[in-house]
Amino acid sequence: MTAHADNASLSFNPQHPVPHTSHLAHPGTPLLEARGVVKRYGKFVALHGVDLTVQPRTVHSVIGPNGAGKTTLFHTLTGTTGVSGGTVVFNGHDVTAEADHQRVQRGIARSFQVTSLFANLSVRENLRLAAQGVKRAGAFDLWHPPSGARAHNDVVDGVLERMALTRFANQTAGVLSHGQQRRLEVGMALAAQPLAIFLDEPTSGMGVDDLDEMKRMIRGLRDDYTVVLIEHNMNIVMDISDTVTVMQLGRVLVEGTPDAVRRDERVRRAYLGNMITGGRA
Amino acid sequence: MARLGTHFQLLLVIAVALILPLVIRSGSLATEVLIYAIAVAGCNLLLGFTGLLSFGQGIFFGLGSYTAGILLTRLALPLPLALLAAVVVGALAATLVGWFAIRQRGTYFVMLTLAFAQMFYFLAYSLPTLTGGDNGLLDVPRPPIAVGGLELMALKTPWQFYTLVAVCFVIVFWLLLRVTRSVFGRTLLAIRDNEERAAAVGYNVRLFKLAAFAISGAVTGLAGAFLAIMTGIAPLSSIEYHTSEMILVMTVIGGTGNLFASVLGAAFYVLFSDWLSTLWPRWLLLLGMLLIAVSLFMQRGLWGLGERLWLAVRRKPPADDIDAPSATESRP
Repeated sequence: MTAHADNASLSFNPQHPVPHTSHLAHPGTPLLEARGVVKRYGKFVALHGVDLTVQPRTVHSVIGPNGAGKTTLFHTLTGTTGVSGGTVVFNGHDVTAEADHQRVQRGIARSFQVTSLFANLSVRENLRLAAQGVKRAGAFDLWHPPSGARAHNDVVDGVLERMALTRFANQTAGVLSHGQQRRLEVGMALAAQPLAIFLDEPTSGMGVDDLDEMKRMIRGLRDDYTVVLIEHNMNIVMDISDTVTVMQLGRVLVEGTPDAVRRDERVRRAYLGNMITGGRA
Repeated sequence: MARLGTHFQLLLVIAVALILPLVIRSGSLATEVLIYAIAVAGCNLLLGFTGLLSFGQGIFFGLGSYTAGILLTRLALPLPLALLAAVVVGALAATLVGWFAIRQRGTYFVMLTLAFAQMFYFLAYSLPTLTGGDNGLLDVPRPPIAVGGLELMALKTPWQFYTLVAVCFVIVFWLLLRVTRSVFGRTLLAIRDNEERAAAVGYNVRLFKLAAFAISGAVTGLAGAFLAIMTGIAPLSSIEYHTSEMILVMTVIGGTGNLFASVLGAAFYVLFSDWLSTLWPRWLLLLGMLLIAVSLFMQRGLWGLGERLWLAVRRKPPADDIDAPSATESRP
């Protein structure tokens, strides 16, 4: 039963609500283009003009050691924090000045490094809220309970199945196991039916078993979405990415395919080899 | 907590409005219970459903009192219009206070609501031509409800006035029950649970908080207007910080996150203090001890206590009872 559910969750499911790919402004051009992104905190400069170009329907990973500015870059892309300089263009729109909740409407969804759920609400309600969040007008309905079409059951059921959480739909999110919570965390991003999903260390704190499952899930996402992945765990990145951007001290060090990055001399020098190759070398 | 059906809660509210006259001899006392229940429900919407601890409820309550008082004494407006104006003024004031206060979270949010409470108090104090200053606004009349000279409802006796308040009380609770169960209300619960995530999935958290504030202010303004009309005076004390505190205490004693709990909290506080004050002038001391007990041992208030007793009577493990209704709620 579980195995079956897992398989179903990995393959492309035609019943699964198709993300609004048709809304892609310019097919063939990058979905996300960040140019010269600078972020200062007082005198401290976290990002010294970072460029990042993400192609649609790819898994693009950003890696680097602690303090490289990965998470800061992530936050400027999702709108959690503003930039001190530079521009962020998403799907043809300049979103640099937009807040996080506005960028969600553009098709940007994110997960959190530290699990951040509505812990007192059910798994289904968590996903319903995520699905409702992109539908601005309906969210301000002061009169009708979220039933019928307002329950967004089609989207929610699709995500539950994909993330192998169907059995736990009515459980309180706070009582799920760590691995289940990490999956719900990603599921929350999926429920928004976004164009791009930004995952901030989705495997943080995961056990070995959960890790492989999460890897397959992220790989499977590429069929329908564009994935931007911030990772510390190099193993994961090398296996499932199309493009890898290596950051160091607030700058982009190298960008390329996993193989190219693994062979890159600068990367080897900067990270003393085995950190990036993650034991594979 | 907030899992009982809307209809059941509404029935409870109607039952209270019908039973109070049978068990309380004083019409004014019964009316006071309902008036404070309305104000406490407004506070509960912020504290229990949105997670906002507001010390500004007295502002909206006091402004409601003054608005109704001024319109009835100076302009001799019909009573329904005066009530409506109090609702509007309460909502506007709450929008103003909320606009500034929700820019901060936690301690600073609370401090901002406190600061506004002080500011509005001194504003009322320093405008004696409008508010009567220290003396309050006296001789607020209680005209009958009439349309074109035809008297529809006399409000002379306390029980006549009780009827009007009771009808409004039921309507307000019905509306609030709808709002808290709506898509909007469920989003408020999400914001209470995890504000950061709510913003990340696309909700404009500030706008939701502001709307919750406006609704809370409207409801509280209505309660203030009722109290001024009932007592015939809009006193300075109604806009005092003490009123905010009292409303908050009632909310916490009743239990947060459940609207009917607000009725329990208000009824308990009003009746308990009425009874104790005849026995002992230092009765507030006992109230303090009660509040300590609630904070330490029964954080879900009287409502939570009732739920626990009910479960004990039915001898069912509480876990089952919590799971089942939540399932039906999230997938109606």
